[in-house]
Amino acid sequence: MRPFKYTNAKDVPSALKLAAGNPNARFLAGGTNLLDLMKEDVERPDELIDITRLGLTQIKATGSGGISIGGLGRNTDAANHPLVRQHYPLLSQAILAGASGQIRNMATNGGNLLQRTRCPYFYDVAMPCNKREPGSGCGAMEGINRMHAIFGWSEKCIAVFPSDMAVALAALDAVVKITNASGEERVVDFADFHRLPGDMPEKDTNLSHGDLITSIEIPKNNLADHSYYLKVRDRASYAFALVSVAAAFEMKGNLISKVRIAMGGVAHKPWRAMKAEQMLIGKEPTEANFKLAANAEMADAKPLEHNKFKVELGSRSIVRALQMALNGGKS
Amino acid sequence: MKDKNTNVGSPVSRIDGILKVTGKADYSTDHPVKDPAYAVIFKSTIAAGKIRNIDSVAAEKSPGVLAVITHKNAPKLNTKGGIRGGAMLQSADVLFFGQHIGVVVAETFEQARHAADLVKVEYDQKEAKIDFEKLHRNGVKPKDKEDEKRGDVKVALENAAFKVEETYATPIYHHHPLEPHATIAEWQGENLILYNSAQIVNGAQNAAASTLNLKPENVRIVSPYIGGGFGSKGGQWGNLVLAAVAAKMVKRPVKLALARQQMFNSVGLRQRNYQKVSLAATKDGKLTALVHETATHAAIQDEFVEPCGDCSKIMYDTPNSLITYRVTPMNLILPTYTRGPGKSTGSFALESAMDELAYKIKMDPIEFRLKNEPEKDPSNGKPWSSRKVVECLKEGAKAFGWEKRKMEPMQNVQGNYWVGYGVACGTYPAHQRDSSAIIKLNREGSNVTAIIELAAADLGTGTYTILAQTAADALDLPINKITVRIGDSDLPPAAGSVGSVGATSYANVVNDACMKITDELIARSGKQFFARPTAAQLMVSEKIANIQTRADSKPMESAEQYSSHSFNANFAEVWVNQSTGMVRVKRFLAVTGAGKILNPKTARSQIFGGNVWGIGMALTEESVVDPRFGHFVTRSFADYHVPSNLDIGEMEAIFIKEDDKLANKLGIKGLGEVGIVGVSAAVANAVFNATGKRIRELPILPDKLL
Repeated sequence: MRPFKYTNAKDVPSALKLAAGNPNARFLAGGTNLLDLMKEDVERPDELIDITRLGLTQIKATGSGGISIGGLGRNTDAANHPLVRQHYPLLSQAILAGASGQIRNMATNGGNLLQRTRCPYFYDVAMPCNKREPGSGCGAMEGINRMHAIFGWSEKCIAVFPSDMAVALAALDAVVKITNASGEERVVDFADFHRLPGDMPEKDTNLSHGDLITSIEIPKNNLADHSYYLKVRDRASYAFALVSVAAAFEMKGNLISKVRIAMGGVAHKPWRAMKAEQMLIGKEPTEANFKLAANAEMADAKPLEHNKFKVELGSRSIVRALQMALNGGKS
Repeated sequence: MKDKNTNVGSPVSRIDGILKVTGKADYSTDHPVKDPAYAVIFKSTIAAGKIRNIDSVAAEKSPGVLAVITHKNAPKLNTKGGIRGGAMLQSADVLFFGQHIGVVVAETFEQARHAADLVKVEYDQKEAKIDFEKLHRNGVKPKDKEDEKRGDVKVALENAAFKVEETYATPIYHHHPLEPHATIAEWQGENLILYNSAQIVNGAQNAAASTLNLKPENVRIVSPYIGGGFGSKGGQWGNLVLAAVAAKMVKRPVKLALARQQMFNSVGLRQRNYQKVSLAATKDGKLTALVHETATHAAIQDEFVEPCGDCSKIMYDTPNSLITYRVTPMNLILPTYTRGPGKSTGSFALESAMDELAYKIKMDPIEFRLKNEPEKDPSNGKPWSSRKVVECLKEGAKAFGWEKRKMEPMQNVQGNYWVGYGVACGTYPAHQRDSSAIIKLNREGSNVTAIIELAAADLGTGTYTILAQTAADALDLPINKITVRIGDSDLPPAAGSVGSVGATSYANVVNDACMKITDELIARSGKQFFARPTAAQLMVSEKIANIQTRADSKPMESAEQYSSHSFNANFAEVWVNQSTGMVRVKRFLAVTGAGKILNPKTARSQIFGGNVWGIGMALTEESVVDPRFGHFVTRSFADYHVPSNLDIGEMEAIFIKEDDKLANKLGIKGLGEVGIVGVSAAVANAVFNATGKRIRELPILPDKLL
């Protein structure tokens, strides 16, 4: 871990000003990922701007019937908030499927979106990694890639984005509210927040230096009755997803009128299963229809040497998550 | 005295428990020393070759740095001195990825860690031998392990009514005790004090002394508490002597602690194994042949072979048997003893094959095992000192509800889950080893207290407590009058907490010391007694203020005539998610026959510890090597999955009543190792019973069940 300067921001303007003054500075919130990466010499900021005293922790209903979740609130508080549990159980389940109780108590909602891949070649500075060291090559491509992407990867990078929370947010059509270094606010659709690796795997998101996530907003929906977050992993707790599925739908009579499916553990960003969604609109929620939709989605997968199982597992997981959603979360 | 002679066998809570939960028990680097410096090790990033150049200029100039030690400036050490695995900065050779190649010493830990990142190393790389999948077929006979053959297995296999011939694979596992390996070295003139966790206190003393070219009496190991070891602190590794070297060079006490990520390739491992098991049986389920062929890997510079075939030598009665061992030197860290060495992995292969064969014969796997129960040790013809496999199986079946098991897989469906039951047996040898102890009795008025001293080790499993229990009963004193001092090489030498010999060796010598001091008090009184008085009574009646004596105990010679082993039967109920392949162990029961149980509470915990690791072996744990680089891709606890709380269901331990006086005077057989043996096979057999899928390569990850 390199020596760094620690500064404490009193409020949002001072945090933005401090960041604008140093291109090598990073905001420090929960620190559950950033500090690990600094100890590993992967992240090398020379200044940490502590933003844990800025407020921005509130969870409240928005004027349009949705919900606003403070960027600096803790994951645990978001998962357990009555408004979240009642109207967005999918988000609550996804947060609780991630990390461990201790980590969720520290980690913030904004920080969750900015965590970095757990690709072991990224974490190990002795290994090549285009994300960590652009141009050094991808250690995982010809290496051990069981945990890696099956959608949207590039020759430069096959890493997956590790968050569970973000998978639910992708399914729930969330938006991210950001204030930039000059104090200007903007709203980014969740689908445009994270990037696919392409030629610049070092860039995980479309944020610029000094951008601060102030809140995450989820619009009003009627998905709460039929939603489920399924996470398949190598142990029951504290393991990243092999595949995860956030599934939610709304019924009109016997037919599905609206459906949202997003996947984790399969791509460089939360993967919206648009093909599967399209196939289910106006259909009955039967196992046969779920399977057709899941298989259609997974037909586009491009697995690697060690993760071919993710295609079958992804398909089964979509079906299972939809079934669970149909039964209101009960098996 | 109300509680006369009832301490042994009672569920006494750990006498060191309060110290531990209040943080007052000092582990290795917790010990207060004056003005310590901090050392951080840096490691090779190639698997084979030579260091061409180490550029440490930036590190040396970094704030707070006191020394950068590499093979260029390290003192000459005796590399045959008993420190395991090399990696002591004695040459430019690199033999495995992650080999220690230098140490940075600085005023603070953070300064040392940062400076270690600044060191630049250039290598001349050689082709490394890493790919065990490709190399294991060319293994050679180990130096210290002979193949064993009885009868003619070939003919028996050819003529078998039923047979199984399958290969089972287990991955590399790491010990990963909660307390990583850590050392404080402090020189006092010619004398060296090493605060360092050691499962064998005297072994650590000898290894350090011989490697540093010192006399053992100039080296003191202080290791009162150990945060787990599982074999990795049985032998000692480079960290121990590198701390001493660093302390000498900077002329201050030095604290050296390995980071969790460094533990993967610093302190041994359980190696990957391929095991082919061939079993033959008659129509009615009598075994006629048992072949267990094992292949494993060792380091380039040294050999260690996990004896995976050992349990096959004694578990079942068969006229024809062949056990073979092959080993391949590879550019990986030297493997070492790991909980249930050979038996935990060996039993996975043997007990899976037994289950496969029982299924082919359409015989209940318990009945099949009972049918092949050996009357004597098949490997040497000796009678058993005790063997309670039959009782373990029968009582276990009853307690577990085995009758509810379906013979055919996929017959027990609960919602979206397949439910399966599995059984497997396990064993581990029981031995007593030479140990000495001093007992000191003190009296103030009528208050008599005792101090027990020996260089024993408490891995956290309860040595302090069982020795206090043993002494309390032998002296007829309340347990709170007993002080136990262990974990210091200045105390009388003792066996060590390895290979399930600790409790047996320590408790016997403590009991002997108590008996001896009572005899000496009787002699000193010059009186004759109708009933043997207690030591405390004699201290009072003879007005003796203090007395001490030493006992040196050896195994009973008669024990040699018997074959002594602990045995168990393990029962698992698993639920397998039909959609995702995720496995949950809903219930687990271990029934163990391990001689006299000194403390059912600590014994139960120890069995659970072994069971949990066995479940981890079966379902979650696996270290993956990238054959291109020779590094572990699984390099932290985020990737190397020990079971989480949620992975462990309902646990139960039953002990079969045993008091094996043929094995040793106190009838103890040892529990540390046997708790993990047979566990992974019980889980894998339950997975087969649930799903019809026989997984022969651990761990059973979800994708293997899709």
